[in-house]
Amino acid sequence: MRRHYILAVMATLTVVCVFSAIAQERSSSTAPPSATTAASATAQSAAPAATHSSESATAASDAAAIERSLRLEGEKRFRANCGRCHMPPHKFPPRVMAAAIRHMRVRATITDEDMRLILRYMTQ
Amino acid sequence: MPITTANPQATRSTGTAFARILAISLLLLTSSVSCLAAQSQSLDDVKPVPLLTGGAGFITFFDAGEPHLVPLVSPVVLLPIGQRWLFEARGTFESDMVQLPGRSGFHGEIEKAVDYAQLDFIANPYLTVTVGRFLTPFGIYNERLYPIWIRNLQTDPLILPISIGPSNASTGAMLRGGFKAHPQFNINYAVYFSALSTTTTVDSARFAGGRAGVFVPKARLEIGGSFQHLLQDERSNSFGFHAFWQPNALPLDIRGEYIHSKRGSGYWIEPAYRLSQLPFWQSAMRRTQIVARLQQFYVGDLPDYNLPSVNTRQFEFGLNYYFIDGMRAVSSYGRQFSADGNSNVWTVGLTYRFVIPLGHAGSD
Repeated sequence: MRRHYILAVMATLTVVCVFSAIAQERSSSTAPPSATTAASATAQSAAPAATHSSESATAASDAAAIERSLRLEGEKRFRANCGRCHMPPHKFPPRVMAAAIRHMRVRATITDEDMRLILRYMTQ
Repeated sequence: MPITTANPQATRSTGTAFARILAISLLLLTSSVSCLAAQSQSLDDVKPVPLLTGGAGFITFFDAGEPHLVPLVSPVVLLPIGQRWLFEARGTFESDMVQLPGRSGFHGEIEKAVDYAQLDFIANPYLTVTVGRFLTPFGIYNERLYPIWIRNLQTDPLILPISIGPSNASTGAMLRGGFKAHPQFNINYAVYFSALSTTTTVDSARFAGGRAGVFVPKARLEIGGSFQHLLQDERSNSFGFHAFWQPNALPLDIRGEYIHSKRGSGYWIEPAYRLSQLPFWQSAMRRTQIVARLQQFYVGDLPDYNLPSVNTRQFEFGLNYYFIDGMRAVSSYGRQFSADGNSNVWTVGLTYRFVIPLGHAGSD
């Protein structure tokens, strides 16, 4: 009987890991670049365009707008996720927040996207 | 009456087959986890620092007129390892000090417990693998709302001990995660297996179960359910439902839970309202929270010494004041109605949440 349980647990673990790997493979091959990547790409693209002042100004303004939007989204996710269980805390130093958010990711099953946006909001 | 005896050859062959299947499963599992680890990108750019965090408090309970002084410290150690590992452990040092007949003052022993000590591996955005001793994810209170600095009312819900094991924790393995399943909602889940442990303070029961929830960020609503099958004693099933709701227009939290099992059933519902919308005494009102909890417990078919022995109803009303982010004063009044007699429960106290980095806390 005990063997059956061990086998069932091992089989479940294996199936979950295999399906998860397949799902991740699919999402990584089809997913569009994230907002964070878009923001850094915009910021990077601003450098070579420095010779053209108008393009540079536009790119910088776009990057600032994206940054503002990411911060706003981060704050929203922070209030929705952290505030579900406790009063949202004040900001902590970046490395403290990075440890706390990893803990909360496990404890409160926060999604990867929410975790990144909250960490960005809380550390900038 | 024929007597059947075990065939040694058949037993050996079954054992060999079992070993082969187990080896293949382990191989597949190892390769899948390695594959997941290789696929995922680094989780963040900031290197996390080990933390000593947790809660501390001093609560005075008046239970049916008898005063109890409860000092409590509950430290949590967070030890991030690399980009995707985390070791976390929580201990509790607590005393229940009461007046003893013939002696002056309050007396009590310090109780020590390891609430959990687990190793987490963040395999990918969808999956975290946990092994060790972990809080049983049945319902929401034990895992998410239990710490002294989080809970709105300092008394436990009557149904809390149902299906979370003898010391609120499991010993075994767990798979869990949360992911965006649709632009409008996220799904979170946890499946676990716990082995029997009879060692005092780290004891656990043998069971398997799971919990799943749907969170709608726009409505700030989470609903979910839990299931557990006990693999010892009466081998019964338990199930539960939970909900969180924070209306967007009001500083209001509403939480609730229902659990059904062979050992008892019941529910609790707890609204909490921050008075920040009141137009007067703004500086004090925005720090003040009023809380209520209504709960009911129904005795099950089987006895459980952690649960009330008769059907019980209880309501509580509380008032909390936040001095600073992690420090607050708490107070509550509750009345319990049962066939054993009605009684009042008063609480008053202070709770504090601390965060101490065990290293350089600035940016990497």
